[in-house]
Amino acid sequence: MISIHNIAKRYRTDEVETTALNGLSLEVKPGEFVAIMGPSGCGKSTLLNILGLLDEADGGQFLLDGIDVSRYNENRRAELRMEKIGFVFQNFNLIDELTVYENVELPLLYNGIKAGERKKRVEYVLDKVQIMHRRNHYPTQLSGGQQQRVAVARAVINQPAIILADEPTGNLDSQNGNEVMQLLTELNESGTTIVMVTHSEHDARFSHRIVRMLDGQTVAESVLV
Amino acid sequence: MLKSYLKIALRGLVKHRVYSLINISGLAVGMAVALLIGLLIHYEFSYNRFLSGYDQSYQIYVNESVEGAIESSNAVPLPVANALRNNIPGIRYVAECDWMQRHGLMVGEQKLYLSGASVGGDFLKIFRFPLLQGHAETALSDPYSIILTARTARALFGDEDPMGKSVRYDNRFDLQVTGVMGNIPSNSSFYFQYLVPFSLYEQSAGWVRASRTQWENYSFQIYAALDPNASREQVSSRIRDLIQDNSEGKVNFEPELGLYPFKDWHLYNEFENGQPSGGYIDYLQMFGLIGLLVLILACINFTNLATARSEKRAKEVGVRKAIGSKRKHLVTQFLVESFLITSLAAVLSLILVYAILPFFNDLANVRIQFPLDQPLFWIVLLVYTTLTALMAGSRPAWYLSSFQAVKVLKGKITTGRGTSRGRKILVLLQFSSSIALIIGTMVIYRQINYVQQRPVGYDQERLMMTRMTDDLNDNYQVLRNEMLQSGVVESVAWGSSPITSIFSRIEVEHWPGKTGDTPAGGIAFIRVTEDYFNTLGIQLLQGRNFHPDWQSDSTSLIINRAAADRFGLEDPVNQTITLQGGDQGTIVGLVEDALMISPYDPVVPTVFAHGQWGASMLYRLRPEVNTQQAIATLSVLFNRHNPTFPYEYEFVDDTYAQKFRLEVLVGKLAAIFAALAIFVSCLGLFGLATYLAEQRRKEIGIRKVLGASLSQIWLLLSREFIGLILLSCIIAVPIALYFIQRWLAQYTYRIDIGPGEFIIAGLGAVLITLITISFQAIRAGRERPVESLRVE
Repeated sequence: MISIHNIAKRYRTDEVETTALNGLSLEVKPGEFVAIMGPSGCGKSTLLNILGLLDEADGGQFLLDGIDVSRYNENRRAELRMEKIGFVFQNFNLIDELTVYENVELPLLYNGIKAGERKKRVEYVLDKVQIMHRRNHYPTQLSGGQQQRVAVARAVINQPAIILADEPTGNLDSQNGNEVMQLLTELNESGTTIVMVTHSEHDARFSHRIVRMLDGQTVAESVLV
Repeated sequence: MLKSYLKIALRGLVKHRVYSLINISGLAVGMAVALLIGLLIHYEFSYNRFLSGYDQSYQIYVNESVEGAIESSNAVPLPVANALRNNIPGIRYVAECDWMQRHGLMVGEQKLYLSGASVGGDFLKIFRFPLLQGHAETALSDPYSIILTARTARALFGDEDPMGKSVRYDNRFDLQVTGVMGNIPSNSSFYFQYLVPFSLYEQSAGWVRASRTQWENYSFQIYAALDPNASREQVSSRIRDLIQDNSEGKVNFEPELGLYPFKDWHLYNEFENGQPSGGYIDYLQMFGLIGLLVLILACINFTNLATARSEKRAKEVGVRKAIGSKRKHLVTQFLVESFLITSLAAVLSLILVYAILPFFNDLANVRIQFPLDQPLFWIVLLVYTTLTALMAGSRPAWYLSSFQAVKVLKGKITTGRGTSRGRKILVLLQFSSSIALIIGTMVIYRQINYVQQRPVGYDQERLMMTRMTDDLNDNYQVLRNEMLQSGVVESVAWGSSPITSIFSRIEVEHWPGKTGDTPAGGIAFIRVTEDYFNTLGIQLLQGRNFHPDWQSDSTSLIINRAAADRFGLEDPVNQTITLQGGDQGTIVGLVEDALMISPYDPVVPTVFAHGQWGASMLYRLRPEVNTQQAIATLSVLFNRHNPTFPYEYEFVDDTYAQKFRLEVLVGKLAAIFAALAIFVSCLGLFGLATYLAEQRRKEIGIRKVLGASLSQIWLLLSREFIGLILLSCIIAVPIALYFIQRWLAQYTYRIDIGPGEFIIAGLGAVLITLITISFQAIRAGRERPVESLRVE
């Protein structure tokens, strides 16, 4: 599903050059749930952004479903994102001006789905994440847990093959956090590949495999059963 | 998708009310100004173009070389008409015309004194004013016929059918109404209220009949229509030398005829080098430029506010990109928003223009109608709105959509130095143009004021004029005595020109000390009574006034100072000069210059002669009498001695003030537009200051924790803007200077540009800026630090 080889990423400011990823390689199989862990600044989020086609690597190879996407332009990357990838962010990143329903509907609009189909799918997903009763509320009117459930609903609405989650429970209390992890597990069980960056050992245990990073490289892997 | 864009845009509008208000009101003002100026330009361009065949119609004009310069005039010799008719291919119709002066029309007890034209039979074929009754072909065939406009017909006959009825003309002729034409629209260069046949003019005035063969008598207007396939250039070259070819003997000043297109009469009313080259069109261009400028200033507000608050939109852009939005989607979204805001502003601007149009019409002396019923107007409005939306929204759309998802989602958006510099440049553009407009307005006002203060050389106080008729000339002495006896008038005189105009110009062929053999052209020639100078208060500098008995003084002349300068005569009294046609006269007196034509130009050299027949009666009311009572008394006297005309009068100071009409209008409009420009610019600055204060809220909180005072915070936030405004002043100066000098160059009598306007405009701009931004700076400075630091 995902195959990266020798990926490098450096950030430059006027005076300092920081290496975020240093020749990192990683394979993720279809249907796998991978957790990426490591201390702050080790390059986890950078890796996730590159996997999500939000950022470009400076070197190395990135194959998505066997196709090299490392040199795709922004438009093709946007298409791929829409088609294959769903994002869940630590700070939810919902659009404040849109209601719950409209936030979830948005990817379908970009995908050119017809109104009737949109309604069906949005309602189905909202029901699945148990937020249907809040469909006409604005994000600021929801609790953190509710907001993240909306974000998950939005991430899955296009039925992506991959969900990339960046510390999805980072801003949630343990109960809400568990609910979100449960949701991700269910998605994975239904076939969605998940790559999740987390600080939480507890959350990581929901995955099949934990990849540990340090200074832009993978340093250890453990497979959970 | 569009629905989703509109939805989010509307919600954003409601959520950020202040921002929306600034944007919409600024754009609405900008759009209203541009719309109003657009309507004005459209109206002015519609002049004379409402008649079918307007583009084939011309006036014949003549260029003469006078002392190295080409002077153009529409007064041409009468034989030109027949020469054009008979000898020039390409000319289809020709019509002679008089100067469209006022005449008395009387039906029963109803007396009117209205402007009308004596025109050749083909006039209505050249200018195809439609007739409501009668036939254009034949209506003017009989010398004793008259065509009335509907308004004149109604004023004379009420609801009766005027056709075939009789109108007493100048109390001399009974004319039969042979046609009724529609009223002349306001956007017409013609203003006549009726037409009478030129043949009547010829029959009734011997000098007109005699003029038929006089190639040197420039006293008529002639119009022509060309064949549809003839070009102006071809025909112009055929008629150019018509006068020189037909004149016998020596012709002075090398007269050349030309064709002055009917469609250009209004806009290109000034001649340069013998060609219509400019005039009112220059002002329209200036206003067009100002309209565009104010619109651009308003668009800059939109652009600047949108990029300044880009942080607020950054997250949304990031999220949209993360879930698959392409850049074009985002560009479309932001342009839709811009279109929505611009559309709201357009609606508001329509309401604004609708509300102020009546006042604007009065102010600008135009009759613009809001063309709300014309589909074309709405199409133009849609295009206008779309272009405005693109102008205002394209930079923000491009900028906002360029955010990288990964950066903005990490909260690392940097509204980089680039955009901040871009904003500063746009603010510079706004304020330098506003300041330049303010400087320009002040200069216009100072110039008007300067010229209005110019000594006119005579006393306008309580001075009145009445145009003389045959009856008034015949009964002048009796009327004058009765006026003086009535006690309301202190002196009475007449002249062959009113004091605010010059009806007749001559050449002076010889004077003592003349070098070369070219006569002095363009000398004003005015016949006056012996009370003329005394009545007007024109000072006698040398010599004597005319004797009361004009016959004993028939070869005496009085000249003004400008004429003495023109002839180079230091002691003109007792010198002899030779006028056009060989008449000699002796200068008996020298008088002070009196300003009769343009207050912006030098006084015209003038020769006064003693005469018997006047065109304008001039009389001064006694200082102690009540004006209304005086007019009532005079009305009785004039009605007695001029029974077929209503008593009409002008106050000289009012008529003189008319000479400033265009300049005063330009000044008023410039002032209004400059005020709106600065208002729109300040609105933008206010919005910008609000966002920058908000952006630096945390910084201000920390500074306050560290002990910064309110004034230090104020200075922190204001410093940058004041620098910008000062820089704007520096940029504005050369721009303003360039346009001002060009504008002033057209006036001989003009102000010198000093630093005054520049300093006042600069200080004013800085003051307005300080007031605008201080509101935000002080608010930010007074906030308790705990509020701003809690944001984290």
